[in-house]
Amino acid sequence: MHKRTILLGALLLAVALAGACGGGNDDDLPPVEGGGSGGGPTFDMSKANATVSGKIAFEGTPPPNDKIQMSADPFCQMHASSYPVAETVKVNNGGLENVIVYVSSGLPTGVSYAPATQPLEVDQMNCHYIPHVFTIRTNQPLKVKNSDMTLHNIHAYAEKNPQFNVGQAVQGMVNETKFGLPENAPPIPLRCDVHRWMGAFVGVFEHPFHTVSKPDGTFELKLPPGTYEVTAWHEKFGKKTMMVEVKDNDKKDVGFSFSVADKAAD
Amino acid sequence: MRHENLALHRFALFLACCTAFLIFVGGLVTSTESGLAVPDWPTTYGWNMFTFPYSMWVGGIFYEHGHRYVASIVGFFTVVLTVWMWMREKRAWVRWLSTAALAAVIIQGLLGGLTVRLLLPTWVSTLHACLAQTYFCTVIALAVFTSPEWKHGLPLVKARTQSVPLQTLCIMTTAAVYLQLILGALMRHMDAGLAIPDFPLAMGQIIPPFTSGKIVVHFAHRVGAVIVASMIIWTFSTIARSYRHERLLFRPALAMLVLVIVQIALGATAIWTAKAVYPTTAHVLNGALVLGTSFLLTLRACAMVVMDISREYRSAV
Repeated sequence: MHKRTILLGALLLAVALAGACGGGNDDDLPPVEGGGSGGGPTFDMSKANATVSGKIAFEGTPPPNDKIQMSADPFCQMHASSYPVAETVKVNNGGLENVIVYVSSGLPTGVSYAPATQPLEVDQMNCHYIPHVFTIRTNQPLKVKNSDMTLHNIHAYAEKNPQFNVGQAVQGMVNETKFGLPENAPPIPLRCDVHRWMGAFVGVFEHPFHTVSKPDGTFELKLPPGTYEVTAWHEKFGKKTMMVEVKDNDKKDVGFSFSVADKAAD
Repeated sequence: MRHENLALHRFALFLACCTAFLIFVGGLVTSTESGLAVPDWPTTYGWNMFTFPYSMWVGGIFYEHGHRYVASIVGFFTVVLTVWMWMREKRAWVRWLSTAALAAVIIQGLLGGLTVRLLLPTWVSTLHACLAQTYFCTVIALAVFTSPEWKHGLPLVKARTQSVPLQTLCIMTTAAVYLQLILGALMRHMDAGLAIPDFPLAMGQIIPPFTSGKIVVHFAHRVGAVIVASMIIWTFSTIARSYRHERLLFRPALAMLVLVIVQIALGATAIWTAKAVYPTTAHVLNGALVLGTSFLLTLRACAMVVMDISREYRSAV
């Protein structure tokens, strides 16, 4: 019986230790790995004097977005009427919003680009990411803020960069991170696993020649003279590319067109 | 003393029911894709998990934190059962089996934490799902071994002449169900549940083009379903033909047959509804019940069916 008592004590101790081990909440997003904007002389951005602009057109009737059910969180439910559907496809006057437009090849080799030090911010407000789609430079600080009176977790489903998943339990909480490696084809999805409708996309670039289409579908890139492959990417309709040649101080009007027949690769 | 041991048996039965509920709740976490809604472990958003305010159980947190809560309760009940066993159970091997159940539930908790901290790698999540089924079977075994009928000796039945002895058949069926559950867990955690989006055909064909690992795993799960259903029909028909009057064998065999029919219907519904939460989760729970019933039948078949009853009685005397 005495042996049994000792054994029982040991078992209880093991259970207690198992329950108590580990732990702690991470206050900061994990550090980045690798990256940098390459070697070579720093590119002179004053040479980027040509303008490539245009509109991302959507042909036909845009497909309806998925309805959002926010009743799982009373705070989010208060804002449900403002966001009845997902932000996947936003078309205004034939222009498609939230398309990442970037130079995918043709940039000069052997140069580096001045690091972007100005932090970008993505806010979780009214149970939505603002902005929904954005671009950032490698190693540029990204602040993730929770403006809501509810909990969010920010989960980056990165493939080339380290994934992370951090909770933000308190309103006003801000975490900062950086992505060390370019990741834009496709961009990194950001998700909140608490509120499954919350999603955003961030395209990470080593170079500064990228932008996101505005609500009316327009975009503008400043480029140095040269011949480039320019890509437009949308979360539902995938990507399209075109070749663009610009000379000094050129102003070139180009456009991309998407339709319901286009589909993003899985 | 006898009364207390009956209580022990009932408690083991109760724990088996709690475990089935826990498997359902765990299935809900995966079905609602809430596995990472609580990013830290063993804390919850920095709180001790038992002091985390209920008002904050919102969205996916409700499922993930609820799963942790139910798991903690099951873990606590397992501690109680093990302590009770060591205090009252005379058979050392049963005491050690309860200790194995306790070890399993502790490892299960650690695996659950590990999969959260590692952002749900497929192999850890699959291992977590498989250990859940193993633990469930262990608790069922404890309930069976502490039952009065087991302790007083199950009625012996003379083995009928068959190509495959009933015990072997039951063991094969249970092994097939367990392998099928591993495939199911792998499919779930690879997010391959809709890799083949149609049923009963597979991409409009009987055999789909194997263009990805997800399709291979999904199709293997469907083939596994055919094998498992065949094994269960074989087992049931054997018992119905040769052991029909042995209610301890016939009833679980019949239950297993009904459950596997329900299981196939739930699997089809999960696909037709594009993995709607409740049919998909019910498929997980029902799969565990198929395994549990098959395991129970196996234990009984191994204990009851003998080649020579008179020799068994003599050895017992």
